[in-house]
Amino acid sequence: MKNYKLIYIVIFLCLKMELMEFTDTKCTPDIIHTYSSSLKNNSVPLVIDNGSYICRVGWSVNESPLLQFRNLIAKPRKERLKKDTIEVPQTPQLQIGNDIVNIETMRFQLKTQFDRNVVTHFEAQEHLFDYTFTHLGIDTENCVNHPLILTEAFLNPNSSRQLMSELLFECYGIPGVSYGVDSLFSYHYAQPKPLENALIVSLGYQTCHVIPIINNQTDFENTRRLNIGGWSIITFLHRILQLKYPAHATAITLSRVEELLHTICAIAPDYKEELMRWTNNDYYEQNIKKIQLPYTSASNALTLEQQKERKRELARRLTEINARKREERLAEDQEKLRQLLEVQEIIDFGAEKDEVEQILTEFELKNVQELQKAIGNLNIRIEKTKQKILAASNIEEIEEPPVKQAKYSKMVFESDSALHSFLDNAKKMRQEIVTRKLVRKQRKQDIFKRRTAAGQERMRIISQLARKEKGNDDFGLRDEDWDIYKTISKDGGDSDSETENEKLMELEEILRIHDPSQFEEGVNLGEMHQLHVGIEMYRAPELIFKPYMSGSSEAGLSEVIGYVLSLCKPEDQLKLASNVIVTGGLANLPGLRERLLKDLISIRPFKSEVNICIMENCNLTSWYGAREFTRKGDYSKYLLTKNVYEECGHEYFKEHLASNVYYPTPKEITIDVDT
Amino acid sequence: MTSEEQKLEQKPVFKVSSFQYQNANKKKCVWKGLKQIITSEKALPWPDHCVHYGSINAPPSFKPPEKFSDLSGLPAPYTDPQTRLRFANKDEYATMIDLPMDITAGYLTLRGATSIVG
Repeated sequence: MKNYKLIYIVIFLCLKMELMEFTDTKCTPDIIHTYSSSLKNNSVPLVIDNGSYICRVGWSVNESPLLQFRNLIAKPRKERLKKDTIEVPQTPQLQIGNDIVNIETMRFQLKTQFDRNVVTHFEAQEHLFDYTFTHLGIDTENCVNHPLILTEAFLNPNSSRQLMSELLFECYGIPGVSYGVDSLFSYHYAQPKPLENALIVSLGYQTCHVIPIINNQTDFENTRRLNIGGWSIITFLHRILQLKYPAHATAITLSRVEELLHTICAIAPDYKEELMRWTNNDYYEQNIKKIQLPYTSASNALTLEQQKERKRELARRLTEINARKREERLAEDQEKLRQLLEVQEIIDFGAEKDEVEQILTEFELKNVQELQKAIGNLNIRIEKTKQKILAASNIEEIEEPPVKQAKYSKMVFESDSALHSFLDNAKKMRQEIVTRKLVRKQRKQDIFKRRTAAGQERMRIISQLARKEKGNDDFGLRDEDWDIYKTISKDGGDSDSETENEKLMELEEILRIHDPSQFEEGVNLGEMHQLHVGIEMYRAPELIFKPYMSGSSEAGLSEVIGYVLSLCKPEDQLKLASNVIVTGGLANLPGLRERLLKDLISIRPFKSEVNICIMENCNLTSWYGAREFTRKGDYSKYLLTKNVYEECGHEYFKEHLASNVYYPTPKEITIDVDT
Repeated sequence: MTSEEQKLEQKPVFKVSSFQYQNANKKKCVWKGLKQIITSEKALPWPDHCVHYGSINAPPSFKPPEKFSDLSGLPAPYTDPQTRLRFANKDEYATMIDLPMDITAGYLTLRGATSIVG
């Protein structure tokens, strides 16, 4: 017995495990960190990895970044001015970074300072810097007295850097800044012993870069950038799932898809092979990921008992109201009767004629006969009401409002066989209608295709109709002639008629009543709210290898790597291929290393050395690298100070190992005309 | 003017209060998009050895794109001439012909195959 129990539990757990659910993690607003005096007085460098996905901020003395937030701003819409209220509507607070607790509710108001991987919107950047410095607790007046290490895009355009420097120096009054490229920081400083030659593959949120490093020098000329990244994968997967489950289109949100990318998505070492495996039914069943969407069970959940109870309650209230009304009426009638009887008494005691008439007119009566009639009527009415009250009080307990009958009540049959034959008949009729509908639909489809019998027949009739034969055109003499237009019309003669649909509904209703088992099973509300993610978990990340899947004409990642290698000298190619370093958020995808290795071996010469290394903790390496950069003694050499900034132009910056290369922006062509 | 005052109050202490983005004619700043930046950068007479953001784009793919089913992602040898959707087998075709127009159009835009010529 025990064993059985155990097995049941295991099976139950397995079933449970198969079904995943979205966690829908929400951001927790950042705390405001304390700004200690040691930070304040020693002008400790501040390291900001300003990524297009997540911004990471920390002091150079920190072990890990203090702040990590999405580089996003949400500007809630202004509330409309209402007519009744006098007060001015408050402009809602701007939500920045982790203030945005639920991204999905703000999706349409989101803004970022980035255009692709370059900062272009500096007003937004200003808000994000405000957020950053506020949450670090900085309280010095009119300046942020710390040198800044800031990451920027590979080959960041001069104009973008210029605006950034202007913002930093003129708005925040920082003493100095050093710009660097995120992936170069990770390569040069986040590793114990970086080799002199490497091919960096940086897989970002907006873009991917393939950067050759030769003799510790970044080879800017041969670097290539793929304009595809995590964001493209997320939107691609989002759209696939929405199209697969149109009914749940709104429940499939971008953040949920992002969660899928982080949890179940993987890169297939061999995509074709993986696809072939999925065609196998068993493999499909074993590997499919079922994800339960949240759902609320509909009103059906009320049990029959509850429904009955509710109805009973309603009926009781009704009878109570009725009883009260009756009693009121009774009291009213009795009062009137009393008054009339008094009048009668007065008359009986022989009152004056004038007086009698006066009283009678008061009661809107003409003469004594009418008075007597009215008294009689009232007596009868009172008697009736009394009887009704009596009857109601007797019934009240027993009365049960009849159960509302379904449209087609359950018929009673003498025997099971009669029921069966009736059911079979109904089923047959239903099936007939269904097939008729199907046939019609098929015909409708066929008629518009060439090379189908129906289509060809239609064309034949049309051409015959169009043919003009002189003399013997007797078309239209008989009414049936016109029927030919019906057969060639879009509907192919007859369409799903109303009566037929009604009949179908009726039959289904009857079947549901008499044979509920057929319809009830299989309609599980929970199952209806499940997403089945199979090939999609490989298909979406495959986008970085096959950008053409989303209509881009760019080469895929492996092809770009091959292209970049081909641009380098043959002896360098060997060195680069033997040290490929992968970094960036997407590098976490399982299977990436095998895939790159396989693709690279296939394009490299036979038996040449190929090594691929995925950086550890690749989400944070660029921040760590930038921090290590500040810990090297000579980092202050590479700081762009305010003086230099003013002297050498606003776009100038100091080059270093992990930085971009500086090309001064040339003056616009001015044609000098000698006079 | 109250809103202006509020703004000043909200301004964190570490900011230089006089700083403000503005154009010469004090209009609200319009930020150039990346595309604009690239084109204006390209227009300048750079020395020959210079590389910049716009010049390191990945090359176009030299390999013929493989065809995958729009619905399932499986290799797709067939294309439906009516909807232009690709499909892998007859089961897929059966589900495909029942799809409403918006879904088929959605699949095509996802693949970027909306041009009439393609």
